[in-house]
Amino acid sequence: MPVIKDLVPDQTHVFSQYSMIEPWLKSRTPAPATERLQSRDERSRIDGGWECILCFCCTSGCPSHWWNTDRFLGPAVLLQAWRWLVDSRDEATGERLDELEDPFRLYRCHTILNCTRTCPKGLNPAKAIAGIKKMLLERSS
Amino acid sequence: MTARSRMPLSPHLQNYRPQLTSVLSFTHRVTGVTLGIYAVALVVWLAAAAAGPASFSTIQTGVRSLPGQALLLGGTFCFFLHLCGGIRHLFWDAGRGFALGAVYASGWTVVAVSISLTAAAWILSFMV
Repeated sequence: MPVIKDLVPDQTHVFSQYSMIEPWLKSRTPAPATERLQSRDERSRIDGGWECILCFCCTSGCPSHWWNTDRFLGPAVLLQAWRWLVDSRDEATGERLDELEDPFRLYRCHTILNCTRTCPKGLNPAKAIAGIKKMLLERSS
Repeated sequence: MTARSRMPLSPHLQNYRPQLTSVLSFTHRVTGVTLGIYAVALVVWLAAAAAGPASFSTIQTGVRSLPGQALLLGGTFCFFLHLCGGIRHLFWDAGRGFALGAVYASGWTVVAVSISLTAAAWILSFMV
């Protein structure tokens, strides 16, 4: 990550990558009068994703992101992509997967696992990315 | 270009401490490339064997020399490290073994098992 001064990196690029995955709830069904309800099980699926505070420790420690900074989305952004893919209230799963199915955006992840080792909150971006890869595989089969 | 491109990059390869995760990933790739080169060497060795006793004894002199044996030992280790690392990757592809403890356990297991298998293969080769 480009360093502005000690301990102050320029996060412009990673945040623009974050905006690429459109990290908000997308739904076609009309909004209900009350909240969009989830079962406890549905809610538990986004555990490990919503806690991320976007510090980008994982992305800045990822060798694949060093080599392909521009085109590989990196672990932090992919963890968030997964968080919206598994959210039961989100209805854009197919479009989200279409956007990710790319040799660089997703598949530059070679399961190095520096991300999981470095996360200060003990989250597991590598597992989330593997989850996205599995979703793509299941969709194509 | 812009001011951004002149800024130092950090963390990056030069200033990020090597750790089991990245080192094993790197060696998995290096051993993969190395095995590709060894595959060519294997074809050369087979071709020499097929060409007749004279060319075979020539290439065997090279293989039996100390540098030849060292290369063969290195190749054996590359083979087993890549094999074990490949099996580890298959578990990950199935979505298993992503907990940090499991990552380290499987990583050190890969190292230990490939050293043991290399030793076992060489001990066996001297016994027969």
